[in-house]
Parts: sequence; structure tokens; C-alpha cells
Amino acid sequence: MSTKDRGQADAVTLQLAHRFDAALDRLEQARPFAKGSHQAVVLDLAGRLLKRSDGLAALAERAPRFDPAGVFLGSDWHQPECLLPRLVRQTLATAPVPTVVLEVLSELRMLAIARGDATHAGFTQEQARHFLMQILALSLDRVFGSPGEADRERLGELGDALQQLFGLIVEQVGFEGILAHLIDEIWRVLAQRPIDVAGVKAMIAQISVALADGAGDTGELRLGADRLVSALFGPTQASSDDPGLPAYRGRLATLDGVALQHEARGFARAMHDTGLVSAYHALFLRWIHDNGQRELLAPALGLSPTGTDALQSYPALVHRLLDEAIHPETSQAAYGLALLLERGLLYAPPMAPALWRQIHLALSPAAADTLANVFGSTRPPRTHLLAGVLMLLGQPLGIGQGNNPTCQSARALSMWAINDPDFLLHLVVQAARTDSITMHFEGQELRSADLPPGLALQQPLDTDPVSTLLVGHLDRIYAAMGRLCADRGEDPHRWINPEFHGWWVGRDFAIAVDVATGALCDHDTFVRGFYGHYHPYYNGMTPVIHPQPAGLAITDAAGDFVGWHAITLLRVALDQERVMRVYFYNPNNDSGQDWGQGVVVSTQGHGERFGEASLPFEELASRLYIFHFDRSVCEPTGAPPVDEIERVGAMARASWAATRVPPAAAAQADAPGPPQG
Amino acid sequence: MNDPQADKGYVALLGWSLNAIDAIDRFDRRYVVVAPDWAESYCTEHDIPYIGWNFERLNDRSHEIAEILEREGVDVAIPLFEETVEWAGAINSVLLSNPRLLGQSMLMRDKSLMKRRAQLGGIRVGIFEEAHDRDDVIRFLKRVNQALLKLDGDPNDPIHFKAFDKAGCLGHRVIRTVEDVDSITDGEFPALLESHLDGWEFAVEAWIWNGRVRFLNISEYVHLGYSVHVPASPELERYRPQVEREIEKLIETFDIEFGFIHPEYFVTNDGQMYFGEVAYRPPGFKVFELLERVYGFNAYQALALCFDPKTTEEEIEAFFPKEVVDAKGYAGSFGVYPRRRVVSELAIPEETASDPYFDYHELTAPLEEIVTKRTAFGTHWGLVFFHGDDPVRLAELLKKQEALDYYV
Repeated sequence: MSTKDRGQADAVTLQLAHRFDAALDRLEQARPFAKGSHQAVVLDLAGRLLKRSDGLAALAERAPRFDPAGVFLGSDWHQPECLLPRLVRQTLATAPVPTVVLEVLSELRMLAIARGDATHAGFTQEQARHFLMQILALSLDRVFGSPGEADRERLGELGDALQQLFGLIVEQVGFEGILAHLIDEIWRVLAQRPIDVAGVKAMIAQISVALADGAGDTGELRLGADRLVSALFGPTQASSDDPGLPAYRGRLATLDGVALQHEARGFARAMHDTGLVSAYHALFLRWIHDNGQRELLAPALGLSPTGTDALQSYPALVHRLLDEAIHPETSQAAYGLALLLERGLLYAPPMAPALWRQIHLALSPAAADTLANVFGSTRPPRTHLLAGVLMLLGQPLGIGQGNNPTCQSARALSMWAINDPDFLLHLVVQAARTDSITMHFEGQELRSADLPPGLALQQPLDTDPVSTLLVGHLDRIYAAMGRLCADRGEDPHRWINPEFHGWWVGRDFAIAVDVATGALCDHDTFVRGFYGHYHPYYNGMTPVIHPQPAGLAITDAAGDFVGWHAITLLRVALDQERVMRVYFYNPNNDSGQDWGQGVVVSTQGHGERFGEASLPFEELASRLYIFHFDRSVCEPTGAPPVDEIERVGAMARASWAATRVPPAAAAQADAPGPPQG
Repeated sequence: MNDPQADKGYVALLGWSLNAIDAIDRFDRRYVVVAPDWAESYCTEHDIPYIGWNFERLNDRSHEIAEILEREGVDVAIPLFEETVEWAGAINSVLLSNPRLLGQSMLMRDKSLMKRRAQLGGIRVGIFEEAHDRDDVIRFLKRVNQALLKLDGDPNDPIHFKAFDKAGCLGHRVIRTVEDVDSITDGEFPALLESHLDGWEFAVEAWIWNGRVRFLNISEYVHLGYSVHVPASPELERYRPQVEREIEKLIETFDIEFGFIHPEYFVTNDGQMYFGEVAYRPPGFKVFELLERVYGFNAYQALALCFDPKTTEEEIEAFFPKEVVDAKGYAGSFGVYPRRRVVSELAIPEETASDPYFDYHELTAPLEEIVTKRTAFGTHWGLVFFHGDDPVRLAELLKKQEALDYYV
């Protein structure tokens, strides 16, 4: 509905709108302590209005009053500056009706602020506009498509209102705005080279539809969009018109050697440019494998001399991996294979035989079921698992925890893929054959099959194949290790981390809080220790040798404590601007996060390798609460400047540690414990 | 938070009602909430003036709270619930140096004494008796029906059984048979027994200041214990002059100078008024909210006005609208009881949701699935509010709700 139609609301809507006004008046008059019951009434009436075809427009007119009346008071929506655009999508897609209604009212308020019809202290018109743009970018399906069956079931007539709402937002921020933003967003995510790109691929598909419909005709925008769309749907000369797989296969037979070379390089360029692998690319690789054109494999994977050498050292293995694992449905495995070769992993003695074992692996019925449930049955489960292994070995930093509280397990998988790949394959085989894995804690054997579930109460469904198979087992073992040292009166990570991950995790341990009370404890010493063991200027220029687990206190955009989180410290180095940065791995699916106080995690542009997150040393130190080190190989050689240590401490105390400053903290603070998520 | 005027009184609210506190906080009088300990942290957090007191039976310590409030400079105490009525009487007899107020409040708290006093004042009441055990109830049931010349086997006329000191429908049972008597528990005695009057039951809300009624509302019960609307329909409003005379008698008999009363009456087919009972506190079914919906004045603020000894005649004149003519439409509330034994969710019936008179509801999702069997009139699970221009349609709509499932 456009603004022009607003005058013609029918009588029923008009009457409902009057009832809404009366309820809003009561809410507005009520003192803050008495607003609760009035809020429920306002929400209920708003929900009823939204079911009318012109109800959204009626609410939009009243939106400037929502904030001052206290519609959002006491809820998560009260401070617009703290709202996260990506949660909007989640709320609209899964929340119960009253929450969806509140979310809609919040968006109408944003629209009012963006129009300049309303103000909110500390939140500008430009911020509101930006927020709306991000929502659109993340919910393009709502703009372009009709609501799905699940939506219809849950929301009934409210679904139409949601579509109208997105129509209003498009009207306000413009279509160009979304596409540009969406494309930026996709490039930002791709720069982290995630293994799971299903969501990104779906968005690109929608963009391509939108472009075909004539949206976004301006030059630069078109270019960025074209690169994405063509990477998926037509990366080469012979596939550029997106002819469909059978037609493309037919064309290949007619191409001469030069043209095939051209195709190979085209695919490789698109893959390394975006991290996305087109289904045509997978088909091309299989075709050259089957048609005696194997010399095209190196150019088609875009291999450097290093990768090419690895390929030439293990030609039978590599071709077999291609044949077994890379299909149009598992095309991303081609990128994994290319990077695995580039990493020189095959030169480690156990790797080639371990991969042969993986190729011949017969899965247990339970393991096969688990994988088939998540990845479907077009290809056998072992194909998906092998593809998953290639992706994880090629992109150790591309693994994410999905929407599961299992950051520990995702971090461990990533760490082994970097540092101990043959051990990773050992675990995969154990789990796939026997439905159990065995690890040891200080000599005591732990079998996952004998243990109760840990933090992940159900099988993760939104992760890569290796996580799907292993996370449940790892999670149980991690929890069991926690129980074995629960009574030691100190933070259990001290013992779990080295036992769980590997010998290289430092046995020396520092923690910034008192475990019993959760209060900040000798923070300056903690920070100085971190500088002394990790900062090259104060540790005798010793680099980080192995990936080291560490614990962060995660804060939100307002700097408030959110929870404890597990990361891996990877490198400490100067960036292009001579700023000393910590490069780390965050098992969270998107590392680019705003942690408040100007601490914004960078994922590109500051010397990050694909999948790395980074922060200036000082900023990371301000959020750190646990780290490991090894006195026997690295000792502090100098003292960091006092003012820098003070700044770090001040940032911690003004954010996550605000309620933990002793002695006042004591009782109310959340004591840290094993459930890092 | 609130902005009290120096020349106005300082009132104490006895009992915890968020709507009342909110209304008085927005009014021009200083106030303090007197409530049990559990309210303290809430009051501290929200800057609500508070004095802790656990209201149990009046006892030796009752004088303490009166002295605390007197030292605090409070002018008058306002009871918000049945259970705090005698406390207000005790406190006000100290604050206003008027010992009669305690006795008056005790009358208001004992349905049997109240009736006798009304009878002594020449007010017409039905047949009533006090019951101390089940035998008393059976005897009364039989005697009433004998008097009505019923033969054995004829369906009995019902009698009403009411706990002495409970508000509204709490502890109110309708007894038709000897079997009904068996379900009464020992704890419900002593009680008041009343004959059933066939007629029109309604309630009155009267704000009294300086011994005179300043605003009189008639609340029409569509079905006692289920639904009510204000103002009353024109058919019932016809009796307004009679009702006013009855209320004047009540004021005189109970010697009421100020405050607020909430009596119930029957008017029988021949136009005769029977007094049921009277309470000295706000009514149930959110009638105050209904009044605000149609008249626009806040009934809690009206309470403060009529209790405050420092209120002036001009203030009273300016505050109240003109009854009936100033009302914008009719507002009614319906008390929802789950009709099924097992419920899992709240679902507003479609025909209610789409009715143009449906205003809003205050129902919440069920906390437990098994519905406890209703004894007596029980307590409703929440209210549904309606508002419209036609009192006949509104009454039909309210009646119709009884046959609908709000919890399924």
C-alpha cells in the first residue's frame, strides 16, 4: 500500500484504530512502573489492526508516538541503537505473534525516524535509514517473494502486513540502496571464506533475479553484482549464458584445446576471486577427468607452483578425490581441494594414506543416517563427508558453529585442521565407523558413546559435514572433561584445553576473574602477562608458534557483557599501518562484530588472511579473560608501557567487567565456567 | 514523581494495586503506599513512596500503623481491597480523631451485621440468617421453600450462601439442593444465608463527600459473576431517582460522611428495591476502568478526592462529569472462565475477535493445563473489554461470551 491510499481506511479499520489510540493514550499516561499491562493491550490491538489490509498504514501514521508512549519500554527494542538487523529476520521468521507485532512496530518507528517524523535521543535519521537498509538486505526474500508455508502457518493474515511493511521500507530507502548494501554484505562475508555458503548462494540467486527484472542499472553496482552472479551462474565464456548443466556438457565436446584452457582459467579465476564454486565448475572438473584432459586440472583449480607440485606428487590420490567428492551438488569441495594442495598438506607422511582410508571408508548406518538427514540423499553420505573433509582441510578457518552453542567443538576442529590434520581424520574415521570417539583426560579414557550429551542437545543441522558428524561426540567429551575437574576450585579450561586440543596448548594459564565470585582479579597482572607472552616487543620477538585457545568476554554494540566465548589466537603482527594486531579465529559464523567502545572486529583490509579476524593488540586485550602460555619456551623480555596497560584495564572495566570490579561485584556477577558458546 | 500541591491532602493507599498507584502518582496529591514486604523492592526500584505493613486480622498492633501514618503526616487512609477496609477504619479513626469510623468499618466487613444495621435503618432486605454449620444451611433452604408453598419434589427456589467477609463473588454459592450443601467446607463458616430474589441485580458506585453523593453510577450486571456494563441501560436508569433515595438512606443509616461505597441491590418485578450488601472499596471487574473508558475521569483519583479532608467544594464540582449524559457509549467487561477441563492455549474466539464492539482483553496464556473445578463462583482468569453505542447489543454480546471457549 502506498501513502496515497491511507485516507480510505474502511470503517472497521477506523474503529480498530480508535481503540488502538485509546489504548496508546492509556499507555502514554501510565507511569513507567505501570506500563506493562497497557503494553500488552497495545500489542494485541496492533496485531488485530495488522490483519486489516489498511491496518499497517494506520499504524505507520501513529508510529512517531510509539517511543514516547513507552511501547518498547523494558523490552530489547527499547534502545534502537542496540538492535541488530540480522536478528530482525530471525524474529520475523520464528518468533511468536506478539513478538512479531512488536518487531513490526519497531520497524515502523525506524521508518518514522528515517523520515524525520520522529526522533530518538542518540539515534540519528541516518542510523535509522542504515538499519532499515540492512534489514532489507537480509530479508530480500520478503521483498521479492511471498511468505513461505511456515510463515503462513504461524502468522496467518499477519503475513500480508509483513510484505506491506517491506514495501514501505523499500519505498523509504530505495531499491538501489538495498542491492548495493546486499552486495557489499555478501562480499564482506565471502572475504572470510566460510565453508558453508548455502545462504550466500541463495542471496546471489535472488540478486540475479532482481537484476534480470531491471533493478540496479548503475555502473559500479552492476559490476559488483555481476561478479557474484557470474561466479555462480556463468563464470566462463562457454557458460556465461547459464545454459544448464546438460547443455554445457554438450558444448565442452565441441571446444578445442585453447578454448578448454580458457574455460579452466575462467573457472579458477572466479573461484579464487569469490570463494564460490559454480556447479559448471564441478561439471568441468569431472569432464576433464573423464575425457583424458587431466593436464587441465592444475589450471582449472588455479594452482600455484606449490599446489601444482603437490598434485604432480600425488596424481592418483588427487584424481580419486576429485572423482569421489566433487559433484555439482558438492562443488565447493573443489575450492577445498585446491587449497589443501596449496597448503602442502600432502607432504606430511600420514596424510596421503589417511585420505586413501577416508576414500574407502564405510560409514556405520547411524553415521550415514545423520549425514543423509542434513545433506539429503542425492549423493551418498560418504560423498558429502569426503567433500566436507576436503573443505575443512582446505579452509580450516572457514568452519563455523552454526546456530549451536558449540564454539569449543568448532574451534577444536579448526585447530586440528590447521595443526593436526591426520588426528582430525583419525577422529572422523572413529566416529563414522564406531559411532564413538575416544580421547583421554590425564590418562583417563573417555568414550563419547558412553557419555551424556553436553551443550548441544540435538544434532547440529546447520553446519558442515564434518561438524555434523563430530560435534555431538566432541561436545560430550568436552563436558565430561569439565566434570572431571569441576572440583578443583579453578577455571577448568586450564586443564581441559591442553588435554582436549593437543600437547601444543600451553600448560601455563592466566585468567582475569576470580572463579568463585566472577569478580575481576588482579587484572593489570593478567594484561601484563598477555603482553609479555604474546606481544613481540615484550616477548623477545617470539611469534605464536601453534594456534592457542583463548577466552573472550564478548560484549554487544553498547559494550555490555553478552557471554564467554572461545577463540583461537593465530598470529600477532604489524598491519600495513604499523599497528600491532592480534589475528584470531572466531568460531562464530560471522567474525565482523561490533563489541562497543569502538572495538569493531576487522575481517579484511588490515592484513587478515582469509577467515582471520583481527583487532589491535590493545583492543583484543581489553576483551580477553583467559589465555595459555608456556614459560619453558617464551618469557617476557620487557615491560609494556604503563599507560597502555591502564587503557586496557579501563576499557575492560567500562564494558564487560563493569559489574565485576571488586569488592562490590561478588554475588551478582556470572561466574565463568565451562559453557563457553 | 508526582507533583503534589501543598494545600491538598496526603493520602495512604492500603493494599497493592498498580492501577491505583499509577493514577494517584499522576494526581495532585501526595501519597504513600502501605503494602506487605514483598512490594518493597518494587517500590524502591520505581521510586514509589512506600511503608511496609502486613495486613492480617486487626490485632493489638493495629494502632502502630495508625501512629506511623500520623507521624508521617498522612491525612487519610484509602482502602483498596476488602481486606483493608477495617484497617482503613481503624487508621482513620486516629487520623481524623473520629472513633466512630472503626465501628462503621467493622459493619462493612460483616455481611450479617451489615444487613441487620440496614434493616434497623428501615432499608428493605430479603430474608437472611446466619449459618454456623451445614445443618443451618439445610434448615434455611427448607424453611424458605416451605414458605414459598413448594411441595416435596418441586424444584427448590435457590438460596444464597455468602462468606461473611469476602469481596464480591468470592465465597458466594448458590444452593438449590441438599447435595449442594455437602460441597461446602468447614472453613467457609460462619456464613450469611439469603433467600433468592427474582429480579434485576445491579451495583452502585457512589462517591460521597460532605455527607452527599457527588457521583453515582449504576453498574448493570448482565450476569452476576460474569459480566457487567456501565452506564446501565435506559430501562434500569429509569430507577435512578429511587436508587438515589436508597443510597441516601444508606448514607444516613451507616453514617457515612466521605469516601466511596459500592452497594448491591435487587429491583423486583414490581419495582421494589432490596438491599443486598455494601462494600467500602473499589468494585471488581475493573468497573473503575470501564468508567474511565466512558466518562474520561479517573475513578481512583476520584477516590483520593472524596477521602481527602482538604478537598474543596470547587474541586469536587470541577472533577465529576454529569452522570449518563456525559458518557461516551457503553463499556462492559466479561470475566473468562475456562470451560474445558484441560486447556493448552489462549485463543480469542473468532466471532469475538471480529466483533466491532470488542475493545481489548487482559487475558494471558494458561499457566497450567488442568483447570481446577470451580467451587462457589470462583475467580475468573482475566477480563475481556467491550465498548459500543447500543446497550442492548452490548448486553447480548456479553451474555453470548459465556458459551464461547477462550481457552482451548
